Amino acid sequence: MALDLQMPVLVVDDYKTMIRIIRNLLKQLGFEDIDDAADGTEALEKMKQRRYGLVISDWNMEPMTGYELLKQVRSDSGLSKTPFIMVTAESKTENVIAAKKAGVNNYIVKPFNAQTLKGKIEAVFSD
Amino acid sequence: MERLDLMAKMKQENVARIIDFLQENKNRQGEVSLTDVMHLAEVMSGSMFDFLSTVQPAVTEELTAIARQITRMKEEISQLRANDMTTSKIPDAGRELDAIVEATENATNTIMETAEEIMGADTSDPVAYQELVSNKMINIFEACTFQDITGQRISKVVETLRFIDERVSSFISQLRIPEDLEAAMEESADERRKRELILHGPQHTGEGVSQDDIDALLGDAQSDIDKLFD
Repeated sequence: MALDLQMPVLVVDDYKTMIRIIRNLLKQLGFEDIDDAADGTEALEKMKQRRYGLVISDWNMEPMTGYELLKQVRSDSGLSKTPFIMVTAESKTENVIAAKKAGVNNYIVKPFNAQTLKGKIEAVFSD
Repeated sequence: MERLDLMAKMKQENVARIIDFLQENKNRQGEVSLTDVMHLAEVMSGSMFDFLSTVQPAVTEELTAIARQITRMKEEISQLRANDMTTSKIPDAGRELDAIVEATENATNTIMETAEEIMGADTSDPVAYQELVSNKMINIFEACTFQDITGQRISKVVETLRFIDERVSSFISQLRIPEDLEAAMEESADERRKRELILHGPQHTGEGVSQDDIDALLGDAQSDIDKLFD
């Protein structure tokens, strides 16, 4: 799958400032179509209405966490192929392994920088 | 043990006196006068007096010890200053934390708005652009002053936590509760959610895995990851 800067990207985070940071970083990387959701439930609803080329999600949100969102996405035949990057402060090995098993494409630990985000997005689309 | 022996001896003496009295009255064939009854009462009360005089010091000693303990516990409870904690210290700490969240949020917004203005500025006039950037940098420096104030607020919250810790620790120490007597905590719904959804929250420096470790984990074959469970 090639990296297409025109594809819609969904940023999922319950912290508005983090959405703003990721949105600005994505804009700097050349992405133009950026949408956001405050938790997994809202993200899932949006994903069922629109086909996103990439989901960048936090882990710790209520009511639906990013981990639950990832599992829901991977179990939905219509959404299961959507590239999914977890961006989270959850940095225990247990979390990384669980996300990997659930089918995450990449995992970024907060705090992160623009270079890391760029590198992980490129890695997802170069696989 | 001596006390028990004495009490047993006294009981024997009293029982013997009652037996003697009954023996004396046995030959009267049931003719018991009021004087006899009063004499029996005297013997009985005498035996009770003996019993109580032996037991009372021990009971008094125990009750005094309990009263002392209750007084000490009341002092400890007053030292806890529970009212001060619930009406003043804990709400104050909550307000300090709210103020910290608000200050960091405002500062973050100011910095981000300023950065967005710089990123979106017209660069066709280098002199005007440089002046704009210089002015915006001042805004960023000003916004960063939040750190000093939040540092002071955090110190106040830490002070409150230390106050609570000292008093509760002292109280627990006075209660002399053995460690193995602590009641098992039942898992709350929130704790269960955190466990099931692997919600640990941010880790301190050196506690979580680094981005390099994560990259290595994700780069490894599944079998290598599975080995971590062995």
